[in-house]
Amino acid sequence: MNANLMELEAPIRPVREREGLPGDFAIWIFILAELLVFGIFFIAYAFARSGHVELFNTSQLLLDRTSGAINTLVLITSSYFVVRAVAAIRENRNRLCARWLGAAILLGFVFLGIKSFEFYTKFSEGITLSTNTFYMFYLSLTFFHFMHVILGMVILAVVMVKARQGGYSRDDHTGVETGASYWHMVDLVWIILFPLVYVIR
Amino acid sequence: MTTTTAQTRFIRPCTAVWLVLVALTGVTYTVGELHLGGLSAVGFVLLTTLVKGQLVVDWFMGLRRVRLFWRVVLFLWLAAVGASIAGAYLLGLQ
Repeated sequence: MNANLMELEAPIRPVREREGLPGDFAIWIFILAELLVFGIFFIAYAFARSGHVELFNTSQLLLDRTSGAINTLVLITSSYFVVRAVAAIRENRNRLCARWLGAAILLGFVFLGIKSFEFYTKFSEGITLSTNTFYMFYLSLTFFHFMHVILGMVILAVVMVKARQGGYSRDDHTGVETGASYWHMVDLVWIILFPLVYVIR
Repeated sequence: MTTTTAQTRFIRPCTAVWLVLVALTGVTYTVGELHLGGLSAVGFVLLTTLVKGQLVVDWFMGLRRVRLFWRVVLFLWLAAVGASIAGAYLLGLQ
């Protein structure tokens, strides 16, 4: 089948009949495992809080909620850019896909910058993992998530480089969807982490 | 109807979802800034969080297009985490 014919036939394929998950199936096993770990971490935090409500409430007051909210917006927007990157590659637009991914990665750096500043502020106040139970959870949970943001950015960067080289197409872009799915998981986890740690009292 | 085609849509559905997510984040932040606590405030925050989570699952991850099974798996994860947080919060009130 020549390229012109493929161009004509591709839009006819009904997108809604798709059964499989977007991206590589293996990434979904990884995503589910990650969600399980984060889920247990969140529940452990919630039950630890139920035993030390006063301590958690007073310690939470010292967090920078505005930074947390801005970072939520940053990750949500970054996730949105990744959605646009996937939409671009479905239209066979490799360079546009790479640009959206680049923008998403840039916001990843913004997230890391804001979070690093938060960590720096807490450490310079003499707060460590052993300060109290709240800070043990706050620091370890957010640092654990921080590492996932870095891993997500590395995955997106690899996909971006391949997209720049024209490595994907409308019919072959599993790699883009794989990276996108992982990044959305990182966003999804933060969407729960933010209210749980910064807001609920 | 032609108004539902990509060319004539005012904004893309994913852009609308992004705007809703931004708005709900604003709502959560406001609850935090007002230092609202108690069962109703926490229930409200958890509910908006579940809505946000399911929007990301359905529209960003794109699971609305795949077999219902996967959507349910992710929903159950969200619901289990949300319910556990709510349960632990109730326990803390006693």
